[in-house]
Amino acid sequence: MGGKATRDTGARDRIKAQREADRKREQRKRMATFATVAVVAVAAVGAGWWYAAQQSQSETASEKTAPITVQSDGAVVMANAGVQSPVLDIYEDFQCPACQSLETTSGSTIKNLAVEGKVKVVFHPITIFGDDPTKSNSVRAGAASRCAPSGQWLAYHDKLFAEQPNEAVEGFKTPDLVSWGKDVGITDPAFEKCVTSQQYAQAHQAYSKKVLDSNVIKQGTPTVLLGGKELGNVAFQPSDLRQAVLDAAK
Amino acid sequence: MVLVTSDQPAPVRSPWVNMALPWVTTVARLVVAGVLIVAGWLKIGNPALSVRAVEAYELLPGQVATAVGHGLPILEIVVGVLLVVGLLTRAAGVVSALLMLAFVIGIASAWARGLRIDCGCFGGGGQLAAGQEPEYFWEIVRDFGIFLLAAWVVWRPPGRLALDSALGLAPDREPYDRYDDDELDADEAPDTKENG
Repeated sequence: MGGKATRDTGARDRIKAQREADRKREQRKRMATFATVAVVAVAAVGAGWWYAAQQSQSETASEKTAPITVQSDGAVVMANAGVQSPVLDIYEDFQCPACQSLETTSGSTIKNLAVEGKVKVVFHPITIFGDDPTKSNSVRAGAASRCAPSGQWLAYHDKLFAEQPNEAVEGFKTPDLVSWGKDVGITDPAFEKCVTSQQYAQAHQAYSKKVLDSNVIKQGTPTVLLGGKELGNVAFQPSDLRQAVLDAAK
Repeated sequence: MVLVTSDQPAPVRSPWVNMALPWVTTVARLVVAGVLIVAGWLKIGNPALSVRAVEAYELLPGQVATAVGHGLPILEIVVGVLLVVGLLTRAAGVVSALLMLAFVIGIASAWARGLRIDCGCFGGGGQLAAGQEPEYFWEIVRDFGIFLLAAWVVWRPPGRLALDSALGLAPDREPYDRYDDDELDADEAPDTKENG
């Protein structure tokens, strides 16, 4: 009887040891699988992250800019002489944060393409906001931009986006609008009076209404059209935007 | 001398509950994953606006906001996919829960500071169109609900239909494993005590 008990204990110990070894091996295998999956997942996030950073990498703006023409209706053309197509229409609001994003991300590419004679850019500054304070902020800035002479128009446009106020507060106040003009080199004495009296406020709102009524804007500002077709996210990705314009020029 | 069994028996659950609980985890996984994948997908095509949406909260310094704006959409998608297939379920659940907690804090803080922003949760974010009012309360309720689901996933991973189980990565062993061990050890460490 005692012998059987010992044998049983021995067998039981062996089974136990075997189980322990199995468990250890399982454990190692589990750790290896776990680590592999974790590394792959982290690598995927890292790669996507890097790609996103590349996608929104801005070009360096060239020193020169293409000639600017402020049209009577308020649209502003930026193109080398004789460049008629493709046309890049940019509908934007000086108070709109996404428009500011477009400018900081792709503004330099748009300027460069115009200087290279690859595209005719048409800016359409409008007011898309319907409530204050954003609406009156936007109207003041839009009206002031029309006061800027064509030589400094683009610099003033960039300055307005750089100085964009928070949407919850009153901003783009006329004294600021005047001094920013001086900052970008506007010396014309008529500029100050034009901004302070808000000479173009009505015309700016009339043009905004015309644009909004035409239904060219489907999803808010900015709306970027290349040859009349909406660009969507491509407009926010400098290298893709450049490629789209070059393809359209072919 | 009277032998009595331990006065703390293992909690007895009906077989029905044992069957149903892993499926609850599976459903929670799929709901959390669905929200994350949609949110990430809508943002991933436009890194510039994704950054903008993060900046709108005015909580993170410029460089950090840019990094988060670039990384968040892909993180949401990868974690979402892990949850769908049930891989690294507990870790993915922890990340989802932390993300949701961060969103709740961000939205609550924007609300408290009177910022007028779209949460940016589903892409496009940053600003609201004219006449639109932010719905902070419902955004917080929604994100907190998803947080609770994610917490459930952390508590009871990996649920049914999970690769973790197929690959032996499930953090909790299945009940029948434990039963096996108990049987082996039963005669050596009887779960009884003498009362005398």
